[in-house]
Amino acid sequence: MSSLKILIADDHDLVRKGLRMLVEEHPGWSVCAEARSGREALEQATQSNPDVIVIDVSMPDLNGLEATRLIRKACPRSEVLVITHHDSDEMAAEVLSAGARGYILKSDSDEELVHAVESLGRHRPYFTARVTEMFLANRAMGAADQADSMRHRLTVREVEILQLLAEGKTAKEVASALGIATKTSDTHRTNIMRKLNLHSIAELVRYAIRNKVVEP
Amino acid sequence: MQYPVVMPSAPHVRVFLSDDHPIVRRGVRTILESTSEYEVCGEAGDGDQTVALALDLRPDVIITDISMSPINGLEVTKQLHKSMPGAKILILTMHDSVEMLRAAAVAGASGYLLKSDAEELLVSALHCLGEGHRFVSPSFDTALVKQLFA
Repeated sequence: MSSLKILIADDHDLVRKGLRMLVEEHPGWSVCAEARSGREALEQATQSNPDVIVIDVSMPDLNGLEATRLIRKACPRSEVLVITHHDSDEMAAEVLSAGARGYILKSDSDEELVHAVESLGRHRPYFTARVTEMFLANRAMGAADQADSMRHRLTVREVEILQLLAEGKTAKEVASALGIATKTSDTHRTNIMRKLNLHSIAELVRYAIRNKVVEP
Repeated sequence: MQYPVVMPSAPHVRVFLSDDHPIVRRGVRTILESTSEYEVCGEAGDGDQTVALALDLRPDVIITDISMSPINGLEVTKQLHKSMPGAKILILTMHDSVEMLRAAAVAGASGYLLKSDAEELLVSALHCLGEGHRFVSPSFDTALVKQLFA
């Protein structure tokens, strides 16, 4: 059973009370300090050296995000879990850039909160499925952009061949469609896959669809 | 030889909690459970569920937040006040606003407690309601409160 020292920072008494109960009900966990503002959170964090800091965003005298930035600098071993009622992609991005490694909503369940604290206690980040999906979507967009630039590295002939291959033609069929030798068509395929960092025909098809070389 | 005196326990006042933040419900529940008079008979995180469950569970008191979806706490209050006139409704909110207080009074709430006062005054508020009185957080003007809840 891992023991965790937890700092609770929220300007609402009811929320702190709820958090304290949740922590105290969990074997091995204890509340080492409470704070009602970002400034207090920073002070308490440096004094009590908590394993996990559960911190609200909207707080007087230094908000939770600014406090998180300073806490991460002052106490790099302490993990920060941001708990907020602001449900937006921008907020999630801000929370991450402030250095928090967990972000959950006040409307998320108690279980979610417990899992988040557990995770951070093991120095592993924790994000709910919804937030994770958003990150992945952003990342996929970035990856597609990157793929686009790779596509520019293909010659016109290679794009032609990419399309035929993605349409299900074999190297031999591609060769006869373009009036080139099968061996040449094979070489083109190898080059395309190397340039695009693809390792199978399935990946090649997926790439072609994603980049609108062929229709799904 | 002394026998422990067994007091007949007072019947619990059954309270229903409604707030879209589970952690806030937990905070309220903790306060109520530290007393021996109040028992949390149910909880909900949205307005529709609050109405449905309250109608089913028939609590003595409903403590509800205002900001909730798909129907807010004022609408919940209106509906429950109409269908369960005997139940007391206490609004528990962060809105320190006369307009909200007015709307709560019109909707049929018996009390209006600011979340910042809850730790200190929740139990007093429930006592007031139990005795058939109104309860409004002390930061509001007394004369205005009298007028609104006349």
